[in-house]
Amino acid sequence: MSQKLLETDGAEWVKKGIISSEQQAQLLALYPEEKPAIGLLPLLGSLLIALSALSLVAANWQDLPELVRLGLLLGSITGSYVAAEYFLRRQYKSLGIGLVGLGLILFGASIILTSQMYQLIGYDLTGLLAWAVAGILLTWLYRSRFLFLLTVIIGGIVQGYNTGQLGVYSYFTAALTAGGLGYYWWRRPDSLLGGVLATGLLWQSALLINHLHVKITWFFVPAMLLYAAGDWQRNRPAGRALQGPPLVAAFLFTLGLALFGEADTYADRLRPPLLAYVAALGVVLALSIWAKRARGHLSSTTDWLLLLPGFYLPGGLALTVGTVVVLYAYSGSVLARAHQEQNQDRVTLGTVLFILTTAVAYFRLTWGFMDKSLFFLLGGILLFGLSWLLRRRAAQTFSTKTSE
Amino acid sequence: MPTLLDSPAFPATAPSAPAASLSELPEARRRVGAWWLVVAQVLFVLAVAAAGYATGVLGETVTLLTTPIDPRDLNYGDHLNLSYSISQIPGHLWKGDAVPRRKQAVYVVLEAHPSGYEARAVYPTEPTVPAGQVVLRGWITDAFRRSMRLRYGFERYYVPADVERKLRPKQRLRVQVSIAPWGQARIKQVDILPLPKTAKATR
Repeated sequence: MSQKLLETDGAEWVKKGIISSEQQAQLLALYPEEKPAIGLLPLLGSLLIALSALSLVAANWQDLPELVRLGLLLGSITGSYVAAEYFLRRQYKSLGIGLVGLGLILFGASIILTSQMYQLIGYDLTGLLAWAVAGILLTWLYRSRFLFLLTVIIGGIVQGYNTGQLGVYSYFTAALTAGGLGYYWWRRPDSLLGGVLATGLLWQSALLINHLHVKITWFFVPAMLLYAAGDWQRNRPAGRALQGPPLVAAFLFTLGLALFGEADTYADRLRPPLLAYVAALGVVLALSIWAKRARGHLSSTTDWLLLLPGFYLPGGLALTVGTVVVLYAYSGSVLARAHQEQNQDRVTLGTVLFILTTAVAYFRLTWGFMDKSLFFLLGGILLFGLSWLLRRRAAQTFSTKTSE
Repeated sequence: MPTLLDSPAFPATAPSAPAASLSELPEARRRVGAWWLVVAQVLFVLAVAAAGYATGVLGETVTLLTTPIDPRDLNYGDHLNLSYSISQIPGHLWKGDAVPRRKQAVYVVLEAHPSGYEARAVYPTEPTVPAGQVVLRGWITDAFRRSMRLRYGFERYYVPADVERKLRPKQRLRVQVSIAPWGQARIKQVDILPLPKTAKATR
């Protein structure tokens, strides 16, 4: 609750007898007045001056003596950390953390520019690895969500550079991101950070699959491992946020299979050795179900419907129909659970998924032979009808909730 | 499907026991940690610079010839992707027992020739060599039946502005590489060789 709300509405609450004026004073004392934010104009002004200095240095970078370049880099790193500490001590929290972030970015830039200066880049990955390590340590030190986000991005960049430019995959970077940031999230569960971390780790998994030149469906083993980790998290919103990106990936993949799976041409590229794939995914499934039982939300096991390996079936109409059935089962289960939990956001989400599935199914099954104007007309009517039906159902659920 | 939509707009940091014990660090300890981290970062950048400087000063210099540079590279900003005459090595120079594999680390023995150093042998483990020969560390990027492609780590060259103006497509370069006793290697100097056409005329 913000201090402003307490101040403005507090008097009203006292008047209505909800709280006493002593309680209002106690509440106000709980939320001390925040330092006023630094004016926007001076901030913009200093930003412009900094940009001018930056462009001046960048234009003459090659001509500067090496020692001057090194001095500039080290000076700017130290400068931003010192400024950060200065502002943090004066309680300007966001500005201070922003400057720490700037220092971290400058550290990475310094490693790259120094390596370029001595033509060292491309030899090994210790340099950039140090960047990710610094990010993780700073996140733990300042307990900052901004630094966490920045470090996830840095980890992704470092790994992208390793695989793209050096042709190697740094398992250490991946383990470091998963361990260092994952443990941070585990101890301080947070929805936003869960989503960010999962996206970053999925990116690194995708790079690994690409690097190993294995069938792309192997991607779902690390992705669902992430999902299972979300099941173990005691904080449900944070756990669900971690599970979001893997599920989005699985849903999009299944949707793609329904749309394009009919041609068997590239279905071959999706098929890893059956036994190994199913065994690996089975282990992850077992971990996930174990967690769901332990944490008491076994009903969400329906998420795993999306992981049914339908791509082993021969391509053709059977595959399309099968995939559409799976998609319906999944979006239907999301809707059913949402109504059960009376959760408005999830009802909306389930509705969107359901309509999306219908659109895909309709397109796949009728585009080929139906007259086009009839196709669009019927499609429109179908979607209107569906949305009306789903909305009515949702309205019923929530009216019973409010009447209770 | 759980997404960010499930979560309320504000951070869902549950006031559970572990989170509470993990709240802010004591201010004094945080400050000490912060200073150590700044010092470590400065030292790391200095170490990168020192390694680069020391490789140039203490290392043994070998001269290598590149294959003609890719004309497309000249359009892409600040660096060139160089390929050396020692980047492609015939299979009979391989001295290992097992078949060379992709991504394997190897040791290439170089020997001086009038035009520049050329590969003499490739070993899977570090060999000892007589005077006049040097060992360079590399990685196999592709192993074919009769040859292999190697990567040494100095394929990427950041072109200074004055050199960039003189570069023409298909130009060959003479590159001086410095190899440090601890195995690190870096480009020390790059000279532009005359274009093939003019080379023919002087012959």
